Amino acid sequence: MSDFNPTILAFCCNWCSYAGADLAGVSRLQMPPNVHVVRVMCSASVKGEYILKAISQGVDGVLVLGCHIGDCHYMTGNHRTAKRIPVVQKLLKDVGFDERRVRLDWVSAAEGEKFQRVITEFVEEIKGLGPNPVREVMS
Amino acid sequence: MSDLGKKLASIAFDELGADYLLAMREEHGNVAPVMLARGQDPGEIRLDVPYQLVNILSNIYPWLKDGKVAVVTRRCDEKALEEFFKRELFDPRRILKIGLACSKEQVAKCRCSDPVPAKTHIGEPQKAMEKDELSEKLMAMPPEERLRFWAYQFKKCNKCFACTLTCPVCFCDECILEEKTFVPEPGIPPGMSFHLIRAYHLADKCIECGECERSCPAEIPLLTLRKLLAKDVKEIFGFAPGDRKTVSPLLTVLEEGCNEC
Ligand code: SF4
Ligand code: SF4
Ligand code: FES
Repeated sequence: MSDFNPTILAFCCNWCSYAGADLAGVSRLQMPPNVHVVRVMCSASVKGEYILKAISQGVDGVLVLGCHIGDCHYMTGNHRTAKRIPVVQKLLKDVGFDERRVRLDWVSAAEGEKFQRVITEFVEEIKGLGPNPVREVMS
Repeated sequence: MSDLGKKLASIAFDELGADYLLAMREEHGNVAPVMLARGQDPGEIRLDVPYQLVNILSNIYPWLKDGKVAVVTRRCDEKALEEFFKRELFDPRRILKIGLACSKEQVAKCRCSDPVPAKTHIGEPQKAMEKDELSEKLMAMPPEERLRFWAYQFKKCNKCFACTLTCPVCFCDECILEEKTFVPEPGIPPGMSFHLIRAYHLADKCIECGECERSCPAEIPLLTLRKLLAKDVKEIFGFAPGDRKTVSPLLTVLEEGCNEC
């Protein structure tokens, strides 16, 4: 499936990961263009519901990026995220999705290169998984 | 007065000192919840019809200014009550439990892994079921096939909301399943997000009473979906709902020295 161009959502927290994305941008790091970045105040404001809706609507992969543990602007916001994402992943697995369609990672404001790496790897992984089967099975 | 009614009334009013009794009763061939005051004839009490009395209680409770209510509680009802106590929605001093051990048939129907109440007043405690066959079958399938199974099931949904209305631990005042932000499909069936979001919402609350599955007119195996996620939550966090002293892991911070950091 070489011509498959996945649609990917990346939720980035305002204080670290979005700044990391910005740094990657101003540093002109090359990245696949499949990713729609959604800026949120904290990774903890990414409700599990958002991710589940995205996957239900046919988005091929969802990335949640936040500050490293200990660095969250809201102290323990990302602790919540770290606990919530595995539940979302398991639920997706239980109904038959590949849980790799959802990934959590930490990207600081200084990690433009890490941002590039995470995005590139994730896009490759989703390409490997193929299109989200939800539309086909629910139609 | 039937023998069963007499027995239940005596437990509620004489033994436990309740002012009211909440149970299931048969009238004109229909079985429905009934709230009885001391001295009223209980009539044809039925204990073999599983129903979420805790849910009924939550509807009546705001209007009950005083008095104690005795409720027929199976183990799952007991756990539902714990979730209410945890949120301070009921005063534990006003709720008295008449422990009912479920029959073997009921345990089998619910594939119940935890069927015996803390104190049994009525019934013979039965052995728990080790596993849910459908869960095992599904998880042994290739994922694509499992997805097709659930998609087939979800497409039967007519969005009647029976599963949310009868669920004892659906606590929100405003249901996000009614919002098109989360469930965008305007018609029927509501699509996958309806079911996934509902399952996710209950991940740290569902006490596996099976009421959603019993009330679903489309016969979607909702209890199996709950059980699958309950197993995951247990594996990840060692947490199971139904104890007022424990806090949902989704509301707490990470432990020191955890490997996520
Ligand atoms: S089994 Fe169904 S009705 Fe009972 S608590 Fe769980 S989700 Fe609610
Ligand atoms: S009870 Fe069944 S048909 Fe009704 S909304 Fe729930 S899942 Fe859909
Ligand atoms: S602000 Fe970045 S994870 Fe909370």
